[in-house]
Parts: sequence; C-alpha cells; structure tokens
Amino acid sequence: MTAAGDRRAQFEAEALVHLDALYGLALRLTGGDRARAEDLVQETALKAWRGWDGFEPGTNARAWLLTILRNTFINEFRRMQRHPDPVTFDEIAERSVFADVAEEDPEGGFFDRLVDAEVSRAVDELPDEFRVPVVLSDLEGLSYQEISDVMGIPVGTVKSRLHRARRRLQRRLYSYAKEMGYLS
Amino acid sequence: MMDRAGDGDGERISCEQAIERVYEFLDGELDPDWTERVREHLEVCRRCYPHFNFERIFLDHVRSKGLCPERNELLEQRIREALLPD
Repeated sequence: MTAAGDRRAQFEAEALVHLDALYGLALRLTGGDRARAEDLVQETALKAWRGWDGFEPGTNARAWLLTILRNTFINEFRRMQRHPDPVTFDEIAERSVFADVAEEDPEGGFFDRLVDAEVSRAVDELPDEFRVPVVLSDLEGLSYQEISDVMGIPVGTVKSRLHRARRRLQRRLYSYAKEMGYLS
Repeated sequence: MMDRAGDGDGERISCEQAIERVYEFLDGELDPDWTERVREHLEVCRRCYPHFNFERIFLDHVRSKGLCPERNELLEQRIREALLPD
C-alpha cells in the first residue's frame, strides 16, 4: 500500500469510526439543529484529516476528535454570543421538582421510564446559554474550570447557569413524565 | 473568630445553604471544608438527604441518556467523499 493509502486507511480505522459519537455530540451542542450539526461534524473531520500527521497513534482518537468538534463549535458560539439576549429568570421552571414528587416518587423512579430521546429533546430545548454548559458538564464531563475556560465566562457564571439549566431540564422531564402518565 | 452562620469551623449549616450547593456537591466541585459541612448536614437532615438523593438520580439519568451517538449515513458518505478521494 502507498504511504497515502496507509494514511487514509489509518484515518478510516481510527477516526471515522467515531462519526456517530461526533454527530451525537454535535446534535446536542446545536440543540438538535441537524444541518448545523452535519456542518460541524464535516468541519471537524476536515480539520482532523489535515492534522492527522500530528496525531499520535495509539492515543485516544475519540477524545481528540470530540475536542476538535467542541472547540470548533465554541469558537462560533462565542462569536454569536457577543450580544446575547438576556436569559430571563423563570422562578417556576427553575424550582426543583423534588417537592412535587416527594410523596409519590421520592426516588425519581419516573426518570427510569423516560427514554433517551426524551432526555435529548429536553436538553435540545434549553436556551443556548443553558444548554452548552449542561452538554459540556453532564455529557462531556468537563469541570467547572474547564467550562469557564472554553466558554470564556467566570466560574461563578458556569455554576449558576448549570444550576438553573438543570432545574429547567428536570422540570421538562417531569412534564414529559406527567404527559406520559408515569406520574399522577 | 467571627461567628457568621455557616461560615465558621464546624458550624452547622442550614437546609437552604445545603440545597444551594446541591449540584456543586454532587459534581465534586465544593472545597473540602464545604463538602464536609454538607456531608455532616446530610447525615442528620431527614429532609435534605432524600432531596440530594433525588438530584443525584436525576443527574445520573441525564448523563447516561442525554448523549446518544447517532448514525447519519449520508453525512458519512459526504465526509468520505470530501476527505478521501480515490
């Protein structure tokens, strides 16, 4: 096989096998916007292909690709967020549902009955400023400091957005569970 | 030492102070001092313990269900054509 053929085969075997994971993350970051998610994955793959010679074989290709995708998204996100719309405070949406279910389902058994698509949809429905920290923290496992660094916002803001975002997400899941009859 | 509520060594914290920090605690982002205070509160508070447990279950579900890899064959084909021309 030629050197170019080797490079291609290696890229296929080590990088392109992660396209499904990349697309999954792109969908959540973009709030379920398929066209934007596809562009994001394509741009990520292109950057990875260009930088493939710098990739050290045997290291974690998936993590490397997810980082490229995240950085590509965040650069665009930060450009668009220079003049963000203020996120309004919604007292009811941001109240823990624990008090509502404490009698009937204190251990959150209804979460078990929600399917992956319902959780993904609830994440997608969060406003951008709330969705991105949730994706970075809960789906990607970044620390508050890492989120602060990539988003360019103070750690205190990360903390409060995560808190409010999770409460909104929880209330949305609670509403689904009620609609589906999992809770009375 | 100043005797501020919840801000001195070994002082008990209120339910409100504990609940305010629920996600930081569950994320492992609280400093050791506050982690210990919250932990002590949970050992004795019958109201907060189940609440924290509920929030932990909620986060576990988001983490395990929120990120699903998704196949997009057309996209895959587009990428292969764009990146790897024969």
